[in-house]
Amino acid sequence: MDQDWLSLKMSDHILVISWAFFATVFILIALGTLRNLIYIKRKQSTARNFTWLMIMMVLYSVLAMPVAHESVRFGSAFWKTASLVILFIVINFIIINALRVAWVNYLNKKQKLGCFWGGFLLLPIQIYFTVRFQGVNPIYPFSPVLERFIEIGNIFLSVYLVVAFLALLAHLPTAKLFDRKLQQISSLHFLSRAVSSEFDVDKLVRTIVQLTTKVTEADFAWLELQHENDQQLRLVSSCRLDQTERDNKDVCFSDPLVQKIIRDRSTFSSNQAVKNSHSSHLRNWKHDLGSLIAVPLATGERVVGILYAGKTYEFGFEQEDGEMLRAFGDQAVIALENARLVKESLIKERLEQELKVAHDAQMKLLPIDMPTLPGIAIDAVCITANEVGGDYYDFFKLSPTKLGVIIGDVSGKGASAAFYMAEVKGIMESLARPDLSPKDMMCAANETLYQNFSRNIFISVVYAVLDSEANTFTFCRAGHCPVLFMSSEDEFCKRFEPRGLGLGLDSGKIFKSVLDEVTIPLKKGHTMMLYTDGVTESRNPDGEEFGENRLSEILQSVHRKSALEIKKQVIHAVFTFLDGERAYDDMTFVVIKDME
Amino acid sequence: MENFNVNCKDVDELSILYLEGFLDAHTAPLLESEIQKLVDRDRYKLIVNFKDLNYISSAGLGVFMGFVETIRSNQGDIKMCCMPSKIFRVFDLLGFPSLYDIVDGEEEAVKLYRNSEAESSVKQNSSQKS
Repeated sequence: MDQDWLSLKMSDHILVISWAFFATVFILIALGTLRNLIYIKRKQSTARNFTWLMIMMVLYSVLAMPVAHESVRFGSAFWKTASLVILFIVINFIIINALRVAWVNYLNKKQKLGCFWGGFLLLPIQIYFTVRFQGVNPIYPFSPVLERFIEIGNIFLSVYLVVAFLALLAHLPTAKLFDRKLQQISSLHFLSRAVSSEFDVDKLVRTIVQLTTKVTEADFAWLELQHENDQQLRLVSSCRLDQTERDNKDVCFSDPLVQKIIRDRSTFSSNQAVKNSHSSHLRNWKHDLGSLIAVPLATGERVVGILYAGKTYEFGFEQEDGEMLRAFGDQAVIALENARLVKESLIKERLEQELKVAHDAQMKLLPIDMPTLPGIAIDAVCITANEVGGDYYDFFKLSPTKLGVIIGDVSGKGASAAFYMAEVKGIMESLARPDLSPKDMMCAANETLYQNFSRNIFISVVYAVLDSEANTFTFCRAGHCPVLFMSSEDEFCKRFEPRGLGLGLDSGKIFKSVLDEVTIPLKKGHTMMLYTDGVTESRNPDGEEFGENRLSEILQSVHRKSALEIKKQVIHAVFTFLDGERAYDDMTFVVIKDME
Repeated sequence: MENFNVNCKDVDELSILYLEGFLDAHTAPLLESEIQKLVDRDRYKLIVNFKDLNYISSAGLGVFMGFVETIRSNQGDIKMCCMPSKIFRVFDLLGFPSLYDIVDGEEEAVKLYRNSEAESSVKQNSSQKS
């Protein structure tokens, strides 16, 4: 310290400057690292304390200047005192900051050991250098401020490292336990992530079993789940069980252990599994069984599976292993349920898609374009309740002036009705001929359908022939809803319900004798409506039926409008009546209007 | 979903089915299995009481059609009684009265069976005499 900077040789200059450079870099890096360590688990005051320490360290360093220069106006004694006071404050802040060693907690056992040995070797060197250069640092002649800063920085580093080392020492004995807790928590965390991301049941059960061995540090683990078909438990995945063990593990509800777990719906834990009456029989299956934990996987009241973890030696599990596995099992069952639901909804979605295709296909069976007949306007609609249904209407152009109109309803619902409907359409199309009266046509259709359809299937139909030349509407009602008729002069709607039997109910004799054919003369303004029972039987939220009377009333009120407008009004009226209630059956109707 | 229930009572050689609730495509299999059981027991003389039935769909009607041939070919029949007017309307529209005996009361249905038995025994007697 007595040496003067100017009196030094050139080679010494270089030495001192490089020494100063490396020492400064070292201390800045060290302070940066300490700052990061101190800021782990930071509180509001952490940053403030550290900043104050830095400020005080700089202040203390700066004070080296007046102390070194005797020429300053105030005596050197004043600056020395001031330096001491600041040093005292700096030391206080060093201690405060040095106690921030929370990061030690979060090292795993391996890291803790690494740090311990690292500190064991490096700490003495650090302390040695700090003490060795105390007050005799060669930088002093170059810059007393820098010298002081490096000095106080080293002290801080040393103190901090000593405290951290001691904290590490204190944490070493619990390192293993801490590690295990971390492991368990991360496994649980991993599983809860899997809950929301893994929908493949096979992968999921593998993950569950593997994590089970981690959570409990078990030697082997396996999972038994209820099979969809027979509800029996089966081994679905295992970890560290050999092939023979996997093959030989037959599970059934009569197994005393399974029975106990399902009955109690609580964790089974035994540190001497072969001596426990409930699990002793497992010895025949797995010879090296020592300790065993089994937890039920339950959704609501139902046990859907059992998760097992085992060790090859006795007294391998602690009380909390059971609790941990239980918590783990609760997560696992959520994951499994989730995966199952996703699978179900995928299947459902696919079915819905297929039904939509079927619906589109069926809609194509219905005529899109309305037929034209001189002076007569026709409109029709079919609203299906399900994706596919048994309602149907069609038109046959019999001659330039003759049009066949058919509306029908196949018994039953859904897909089966839809198939029959398609077949009925084909049969009717092939039978429709201009020279065939509605009655003859129905008799022929009945014969074919009776022979080809199963007995419990029948079809109700109204078949009508419109003749624009003779101005007649001739029809038969084969078990179907009546035909509504409205003339422009009348105030009320007429309901035509001639006798008739559904198609496919009788071999032919009764059918023919029962069926009546009716002819109505057509005049301008006459309106006819053919409909299926889906219209009249649709129910509102109170369970009330739309009924024939309401339908007649609507026709009475709108019959002067065009066929298209009548159709719209009827649909509107029915849906207003339904009031948001879902239609239970297909709704179909045909409106025929004489315009001339 | 509304409920449907069938109760079956044997009276001598007759079996009376009491239908209750909502008979549609979903509940029809229940009635089907009930009638199948009777047929399996060789009981072919059925009376179906509709008193407590609220609704019948075409699938429900189909159940009777599915069995009537077998039952009639075994000298049995399905006779129907006590139909509420709404239910009768469905049967009537389809023309079922021309295929089945539909009567007002259970006793009348029983009487129909007894009369036809008497008739057939008279026939038998007369054929024996001749």
